[in-house]
Amino acid sequence: MTNLDKPLKTSSQKYNKLIYIFTAISLLGFLDAIYLTTSHYTGHITCSVISGCQEVLVSQYSEIFGIPLALLGAAYYLFILINSLLYIDNQNKYSKLVLSYIPIFGFLFSIYLIYLMFFVIEALCQYCLLSAGTSTLLFILGIILIKKK
Amino acid sequence: MKKENKIWFWSISILVLVLLTWIVINAANPNSNGSTVVTDQEWSKGSPDALVTLIEYSDFQCPACATYYQMINKLADEMGDEVLVIYRHYPLASIHPQAELAAQAAEAAGQQGAFWDMHDKLFEEQHAWSNQSDAKDIFIGYAEELNLDIAKFKSDIANSDIKDAVKDDRKSGDKALIEGTPTLFLNGEKINNPRSYDKLRQAVKDELSKIQ
Repeated sequence: MTNLDKPLKTSSQKYNKLIYIFTAISLLGFLDAIYLTTSHYTGHITCSVISGCQEVLVSQYSEIFGIPLALLGAAYYLFILINSLLYIDNQNKYSKLVLSYIPIFGFLFSIYLIYLMFFVIEALCQYCLLSAGTSTLLFILGIILIKKK
Repeated sequence: MKKENKIWFWSISILVLVLLTWIVINAANPNSNGSTVVTDQEWSKGSPDALVTLIEYSDFQCPACATYYQMINKLADEMGDEVLVIYRHYPLASIHPQAELAAQAAEAAGQQGAFWDMHDKLFEEQHAWSNQSDAKDIFIGYAEELNLDIAKFKSDIANSDIKDAVKDDRKSGDKALIEGTPTLFLNGEKINNPRSYDKLRQAVKDELSKIQ
């Protein structure tokens, strides 16, 4: 009995931990994106310790069809966050699918944005780099989730 | 999860999320109404009788300020009768090591009536001096180009009154709770940095129509 029980328990515990990390990272990404969205609209981040953000946030690449990328990022992180919470709530398989595969697209998009920052706009914005970091972490977590299946 | 637990879980999650979002939005968009009193000893452009006063806190080494100075110059040229433009130093020394010296250079040029000429020159040539470890010689070169008295310029740039003038501006900016440069105040009210010249002009016009 104990032998059978033990591995089951530990695997589900590990699983839980993973979901909590998902929740934390997507929350961080969401708040970061909200900060960038607000800054995009107010034009407030100019020259302060976070220099470079002005150039990135008001560049022609900062919007798609008039929607700021930061806002799309916020929507993306919120979507992941809600799905992690749903998964904590009822372990449904759709949320698990979302958490496994959607971050791949987020990650690919981040690579494109990093490329723009380094080679096209040539200005760096720490908050944007943080977002690239969180989306990379979500991608890694997603891969772990896929492998665990 | 039990039904009761579910309700708690979701209520707390949503509450935390809304609270954190609100905090972040406020952190990104501080609404300070730092009252900004204009004194006689200011670097200004435009009519002193103008109904609208635009105060700009700026840093000669800040790339964003170099973009804005053209907009603000254009505003002073086109609407000089309606708006008084004031320049105040807010050198961010920690990230812009030459910014204080540049502000002193502008003040020193100001002693010979060439503040705005030096101001334009510093912004125009920003890329040429901002990466130097010591830009003093470059600034002296600009003073020569502006036909200033070089001996006076050299002594003024290191003068403690000049240094204090820059520091006083910086302090007034701290009092007005500004966080970065450029920061613009329209009749004492902090405004979001306009994204284009047209938006800046519109903000001034809106302020004018409010008064008239």
